[in-house]
Amino acid sequence: MSRIIADAAAALAPTCDYTTGCITCGDVAIPLTVLRLDEERGLALCGDEDGNSETVETDLVAPVAPGDRLLVHAGTAIARLTEEAPE
Amino acid sequence: MKYVDEFRDPALGEVLAGEILGLVEPGRHYKFMEVCGGHTHSIYKYGIDDLLPANVELVHGPGCPVCVIPMGRVDDGISLAHQPDVIFTCFGDMLRVPGSDGTLLDAKAEGADIRMVYSPLDALRIAKANPERPVIFFAIGFETTAPSTALTLKRAKAEGVSNFFCMCNHVTIVPPLRALLDSPDLRLDGFIGPGHVSTVVGVRPFEFIPAEYGKPISVAGFEPLDVLHAIHMILTQLKEGRCEVENQYARVVPYDGNPRALQVMSEVFELRPHFEWRGMGFISQSGLKLSEAYADMDAEIQYGVPGIRVADPKACQCGEVLKGVIKPWECKVFGSGCTPERPIGTCMVSSEGACAAYYNYGRFAREREVV
Repeated sequence: MSRIIADAAAALAPTCDYTTGCITCGDVAIPLTVLRLDEERGLALCGDEDGNSETVETDLVAPVAPGDRLLVHAGTAIARLTEEAPE
Repeated sequence: MKYVDEFRDPALGEVLAGEILGLVEPGRHYKFMEVCGGHTHSIYKYGIDDLLPANVELVHGPGCPVCVIPMGRVDDGISLAHQPDVIFTCFGDMLRVPGSDGTLLDAKAEGADIRMVYSPLDALRIAKANPERPVIFFAIGFETTAPSTALTLKRAKAEGVSNFFCMCNHVTIVPPLRALLDSPDLRLDGFIGPGHVSTVVGVRPFEFIPAEYGKPISVAGFEPLDVLHAIHMILTQLKEGRCEVENQYARVVPYDGNPRALQVMSEVFELRPHFEWRGMGFISQSGLKLSEAYADMDAEIQYGVPGIRVADPKACQCGEVLKGVIKPWECKVFGSGCTPERPIGTCMVSSEGACAAYYNYGRFAREREVV
């Protein structure tokens, strides 16, 4: 019985979709742009090109400014992105 | 999307594949390990192995943190989730990892308050919104994720959040690589190094691979051209008789990593004497725990966990898959007893797990070949 309930919970829960990847578990990081700063708390609102945004911890790459491009993993910016295209 | 589309260009991919074909010696078999689960996912998703010559084989490494978590730790997490009033938080993939008596999702169905979060910061927000209840974050991941947990614990301490706890399962990348290289089961010709772990630890920690074991390594990004380029770089090294650490992902990875992240980690964590890995047993100094300064936030200390070692299911061959000794489809229960919907082994749980990635993408090409 608990298995049936668990399966139903699995279907309802917004779990990571194994066909598209789990951003937190799989060493996956996404490029985001700094939109707004909360300097006092060391946080920044960052967004992608599709208009999605999230609050990001910026301590590891501080100082940041609006427009900076960051690589974000699990809500934390782990690196800055610099311009480079494949040769 | 900038920084992404450029590295998915099919025309450039074909050029690289052509050059790779020119680099391999006919009659020689090349076996490269992609260390990171993110690479495994990319390889299957984009069909990268289909672009490689038949004598270049990619084997999957132990770099999916969900895949390497032993059943006993899942049981420990579930026991914490069942503590009175506790809100237990974890990443999505962890919910479906089987312990010896069910998953965290099963525990949720039985009434435990278990919530999925996308970041440790989300877990801290839940703690601040529920000051009367203890909130435990089940921390998991390699050095890519560990700084995020560390910063969140520092933030919780600084803000005086006293109901936030952490069960730390963070692991480090170098000890399992050394264990693999010491394993007599496996003969490898080179490594595709983990890109995002390296943004934190840098490239330097991998210098021992060429220096002590004589294997080339290229730290790589996760787009298809990144992976192909890394393979190109390793083959070029072999052709030219070189053996060194190269950085294919230099647009993101500094040679010395992120010193601030390493500093934060060293403040919050300390190495465990040993930590158990699924299928690989106990590996010395391969896991992190909270340092003494953060012991009051350590869920294992504050609540106690059973800490019982649980053997992997007999049918499951995750250990061999994680060490690259067998391919996912060579496991006895792959695709029959073990599927992403109902996994037996951890490699089938996370999308970055070799078995799930192969099940979702690779098996179709192979089934066509077999037919």
